[in-house]
Amino acid sequence: MGDDERDRPGLRVVPGGLGAARREEDALVLGFLLGDDAAFGELFRRHQALVLAIVRRYARSPDDAADLVQRTFLRAFEAARRSLRGGPRSAVPFRRWLVRVAVNLAKNHRRDALRVVRAPVEAAEAAAAEPAAPDALLRREREARMREAVLRLPRRQREVLTLRIDAELPFAEIAEALGTTENAAKVSFHHATRALRAALAEDEP
Amino acid sequence: VTACKDFDLLLPLHAAGALDPAEAGRVEAHLAACAACRAEAARDAEALSLAKLPPPTEAERRALEGVPRRAAAALHRADRRRFGWKRVGAAIAVAAAALLAILAPGLLHNDPPAPPPQVALVQEAERWEVPDPETMWEEAGVLDLGASSTSDDDATDVALAALDL
Repeated sequence: MGDDERDRPGLRVVPGGLGAARREEDALVLGFLLGDDAAFGELFRRHQALVLAIVRRYARSPDDAADLVQRTFLRAFEAARRSLRGGPRSAVPFRRWLVRVAVNLAKNHRRDALRVVRAPVEAAEAAAAEPAAPDALLRREREARMREAVLRLPRRQREVLTLRIDAELPFAEIAEALGTTENAAKVSFHHATRALRAALAEDEP
Repeated sequence: VTACKDFDLLLPLHAAGALDPAEAGRVEAHLAACAACRAEAARDAEALSLAKLPPPTEAERRALEGVPRRAAAALHRADRRRFGWKRVGAAIAVAAAALLAILAPGLLHNDPPAPPPQVALVQEAERWEVPDPETMWEEAGVLDLGASSTSDDDATDVALAALDL
């Protein structure tokens, strides 16, 4: 797995594009580390939806999800600070730190079985106790069963699946964040989908 | 019913919208002609659509509002703690140097056959360096999140746990 922008700086000759976005992001990280809180606000605004998408499946309430988001940003900043200290060769894009940290926090959070009993989604659905059509009720039940099946998947399959369907990351980015190859990530996604289908078929013979 | 071998891996990726336009076109052309693969693709799409989380609720979005302020404050607090340790280290270094300046001349003028325990202590003290908390932190290796080190998940967990502010 290589870091294109870092390994081939000479290829980035066109202004703008990924290289410029990466430099802008590094400048924001550095700005915040030097005491510019507005830079943090901007980084948060850019990435909060991504981080929330990764962690919310494992949170028991909206506040719990916000706490996971906050911890993700804190740890990603510490990691970015260390990687910046190592010089440009060891620099990892901030966004990649965020994804890695969010995935790891979510994994640890998941170990506490109590926390996954009610995702904020389910709590919100339960709160909105409006009478629903039988079809809608059936769909909700099936969704809840599928969410449980997702949490029972082997770790790597679950990570790849959720980074794709919740965070909507491209497979190249999923592979980079998880330290695997794009093909291996696609195979994991395939297995995950098959496992979910099998769980669905078990429930509805 | 199973998918054709060539499309087995591609169908779930297609259902997740993860194929590039050329691959997606190839899959769609095949689906138009193959009922078995169409059935497989429909099952993939159904499972993925049921597994996908709905968009964040208003309550989830609201809960995020205070996060930037709290997170920035927590990071600044951590910085102050780090700086505080440096000052404690510097104070210990000054105290150790003062102690050596007082003890060393008297002890060095003695020339006993066997050095008294104080000399060994002073020698030990002379070799001792005030540890720099920054260096200790780095040398401990607990924060070694390499650019592609996610295969050793346990090490990553330890590193991440160490970062818990």
